[in-house]
Amino acid sequence: MNRARTTRAAAILLGPFFVLFTLAMVVPIGYAVWLSLFTEKQSGLGFGGTETVFSGLDNYAAALGDRAFREGFGVLLGYCLFYIPLLLIGALALALLLDSTLARARRFFQLALFLPHAVPGIIAALIWVYLYTPQLSPVISAMESGGIGFDFFSPEGALPSVVNIALWEWLGYNMVIFYAALQAIDRSVLEAATVDGAGAWRIALSIKVPLIRASVVMVALFTVIGSLQLFTEPLILNKGTGSAVSSTWTPNMYAYTAAFERNDYGLAAAASILLALTAALLSFVVTRFTGRKGRKA
Amino acid sequence: MSRSSSRTSLALAGTATALAVLTACGGSGSDSAAPGSDGKPVSITFWGWAKGSKEVVDAFNASHKNIKVVYEEIPSGNAGGYAKISNAVKAGNAPDLVSIEYPQLPEYVSQGALQDIGQYFTEDIRKKLLPQAVELTTLGGKNWAVPFDASPQAFYYRKDLFEKYGVEVPTTWDEFRKAAEKIKKADKKARIGTFFPDDPTTFQAMAWQAGAQWFKAEGDTWKVDTTDAATNKVADYWQGLLDDDLIRANASFSPEWTNSLKNGGTVGYLGAAWGAGVLKGTLPEQSGKWAVAPMPSWDGKPASGMLGGSTFAVTKTSKKAKAAVEFATWMSTTEDGIKARIESGTSSAFPAAAELRPVAKNAFDADFYGGEDIYQVFEDAAASIGPDWTWGPTTGTTNTTIKDQFGKVAAGGTTITDAVKAGHDATVAELKKRGLKVEDAG
Repeated sequence: MNRARTTRAAAILLGPFFVLFTLAMVVPIGYAVWLSLFTEKQSGLGFGGTETVFSGLDNYAAALGDRAFREGFGVLLGYCLFYIPLLLIGALALALLLDSTLARARRFFQLALFLPHAVPGIIAALIWVYLYTPQLSPVISAMESGGIGFDFFSPEGALPSVVNIALWEWLGYNMVIFYAALQAIDRSVLEAATVDGAGAWRIALSIKVPLIRASVVMVALFTVIGSLQLFTEPLILNKGTGSAVSSTWTPNMYAYTAAFERNDYGLAAAASILLALTAALLSFVVTRFTGRKGRKA
Repeated sequence: MSRSSSRTSLALAGTATALAVLTACGGSGSDSAAPGSDGKPVSITFWGWAKGSKEVVDAFNASHKNIKVVYEEIPSGNAGGYAKISNAVKAGNAPDLVSIEYPQLPEYVSQGALQDIGQYFTEDIRKKLLPQAVELTTLGGKNWAVPFDASPQAFYYRKDLFEKYGVEVPTTWDEFRKAAEKIKKADKKARIGTFFPDDPTTFQAMAWQAGAQWFKAEGDTWKVDTTDAATNKVADYWQGLLDDDLIRANASFSPEWTNSLKNGGTVGYLGAAWGAGVLKGTLPEQSGKWAVAPMPSWDGKPASGMLGGSTFAVTKTSKKAKAAVEFATWMSTTEDGIKARIESGTSSAFPAAAELRPVAKNAFDADFYGGEDIYQVFEDAAASIGPDWTWGPTTGTTNTTIKDQFGKVAAGGTTITDAVKAGHDATVAELKKRGLKVEDAG
């Protein structure tokens, strides 16, 4: 009786989640899988309308066979290698600074550093595009008067430009996560270290960082998964700047362009699913790896 | 990059949801009865973005009892309007009438998004319109859209600065280059014009002007050649101007471009008829300083391509094609329709209907161009539009590919010729993927 009531309560409480989960996740994913198995064929000059035919895995083969799609993963790899170390080191350094006994006006810096994150990605990207645009940007004219010329829209400049926007958005956010973890460290451990004669540097690197390892790993994992979805910022750089960021710069953009510029929904669906599988695989590997290590520690 | 609380949710969710959202896009009026069945007006929905559209719809509604038009402004085609239309058609809730530019029309026809309007868009209406425009809307022997404007190319320039620098208005491309050099010499920050890396259609109009023919429909086969001699000549020419830093490379209508026009860093604009209204709206403080000249040509004889230009097409699912075509015809071929648009003050559209050009001319306030008869310039250019150009059914793929490559040209990552060649290859591959017959003439 009691048990039945518990089950019913659980069903009622969990129900809304599963309904929404089904509608917003399972159904669209199923629909995308379905779409990815079909392609539209035409005949003659193509003005007789389209016929949707089952094409098996052809769309997957087409996506994988497309250099632009594969290059998108290359861009992601470069982005991760460039961005993630900078983000982790930067956020960690700021959090340690805030946590150190030397810091003044902690609340102010915490808020100031977090503020960029309150700006939506699309707005941030628009602002940065303005700052990257020659002749408009005060930053570029300042750089030029200092003898530094850098083209943020060039093929070489594109990746650093996007990494910079992402750093600006996420540094403060992740700093707050690290700072919260640092605050949770038992102060007696730190006092013991001080009594043993450890300096601030030593305490930071040998005690604080190892103790918040779990947070660092979590941030790294989320950042990798987030990076796979890289879309908004490069899309803004692609639209309306004439920059070297192409419409297929990242796999997500590839799927978007296939669907909305080329009207090829089958290809778009296949590309999305390939990207999702990559993300799933990567999450699995990273969690397995870090999970086991975590237990040992 | 949106890492929110559910950051572990996979990329799939985002894209899949986007696809699912298609069903929620758009809005359409199935709220009225069949034409004339019960004396109530037929209500049709119209999606567009061209300047002055709202004024035109208001004028139509004020003067018509039988049809009521609901206008919904959408982003301009390449800024997302086309995606919106495609999605609405796919989701089955498209408006009755949509604006589509000539280059994109075949793509919509081949996607099966539109309906044949030959029944209502009859020969006596068609013969009022520029033949090249009608040709571009007739595909596979059927009529798919009512042409609105012809968009002959034109060269806009700062008359005051050309005089100040002692530069003659160029009539050939050789002279254009010399003028570019002279302007740069007179003011090292000034350039004669701009290469738009984000806009392949400007380049395509230049190729068209030079006599290129990218698509040919022969029997039931597409013959594709975007790398013919004429195109290569144009590509080399623009590459040369870029290499020698004689023109700017800025995105079209970007803040950067506008800013350089405002401060005299850019003193010319190679555009089309509709550009007159855009310049006027963008740079009101420079009124009286601009003038319009025919596009320079290769041999000095008048020649023009078409750059953009709108048509009105009826979507596949509309049950009110008759009313939609009546409204479209009114916009394109009646004095009231043209007048309402031009008098909005923002449009300098050049009507495809020849006899209405004087109406447009009288309605356009040409003070910005020092009272110059700009419609005469367009008129002459329209007469010289090359008749052979055809758009293929893969404009989305062709132009996206070229645009991606053009983005790398200015920084030296590739050349215009290679960019166009990449567009060619993508086009051929796309046609094949769709199961169409292609002859790769590149």
